[in-house]
Amino acid sequence: MNQETQDSGFEKRTREVLDESASRLDGRTLSKLTQARHAALEQLQRPARSRWWFFAPAGAAAAVAVLAVMTWTGGTRPTATAPVAALNEDLEFLSDADAEIVAEGEDLEFYEWAAGEVES
Amino acid sequence: MSSRALEQFLSGVEKRAFKIAQLSLRNDDDALDAVQDSMMKLVQSYASRSSEEWRPLFYRILANCIRDFQRRRTVRGRIMAWLPSRDAEDDEEYDPIAQAPGHEPTPARRLELDEAIGVLETAVAELPARQKQAFLLRNFEGLDVSETASAMGCSEGSVKTHYFRALETLRARLGEVI
Repeated sequence: MNQETQDSGFEKRTREVLDESASRLDGRTLSKLTQARHAALEQLQRPARSRWWFFAPAGAAAAVAVLAVMTWTGGTRPTATAPVAALNEDLEFLSDADAEIVAEGEDLEFYEWAAGEVES
Repeated sequence: MSSRALEQFLSGVEKRAFKIAQLSLRNDDDALDAVQDSMMKLVQSYASRSSEEWRPLFYRILANCIRDFQRRRTVRGRIMAWLPSRDAEDDEEYDPIAQAPGHEPTPARRLELDEAIGVLETAVAELPARQKQAFLLRNFEGLDVSETASAMGCSEGSVKTHYFRALETLRARLGEVI
């Protein structure tokens, strides 16, 4: 028997032994593996809406800030140009801060709602 | 890519992945954690990849997880060396149901396999890390040289060398038993 044939037989036998060992895993281990698999796959099932709540506090803070800025500048807005410029800067700042989140398309629904609240 | 395909893939590799992690880490709980972390990372980062890519990617992630566990254990060992010694068995409560085997093979064959499994797993666990990795991925998991190189993050030539040396060592130790 040459070296290659010997090794092939040896490789085959070791594989069989390891396969047998894997097939004998106890109930606790099998159960844990199943749980691990389900936990991993659950990530695929999570709807984008659940991530909405992750950013909700930041979005709410942004909405409050917009409201505060608009309230603060409300008395002078019709005639003065400086407060309007300040308001634009503030809005630009806020939109920059949240640009990444909005760009991911995950919170458009929230921002539409927030914009509606500000207008009303 | 459908979650059904991913589930089939994960359920197909999980037992062997656990054995690989167990033989590398020599601790069942750490091995389970390493497999779970690898599953999570594969689904998080590579679910959209083609299914042919999953196996080498999964074993690459698992190899990294195993390495991280080994590093953590080394650091923990250094810290524990400074603390008063404690009997590790105190932490473990024997649970006969949890320790029960998953199925019952025939008694004669079972005895043969029991011995073979014991000596082979001991010998594999004592191989140098890279040889062990190459042997388990090539022989047990059945990855080809290219996939093994990808999973191990090394060249195909290195895989061949590690695998050959692992086989030589195991054959010298177990040739009469296996």
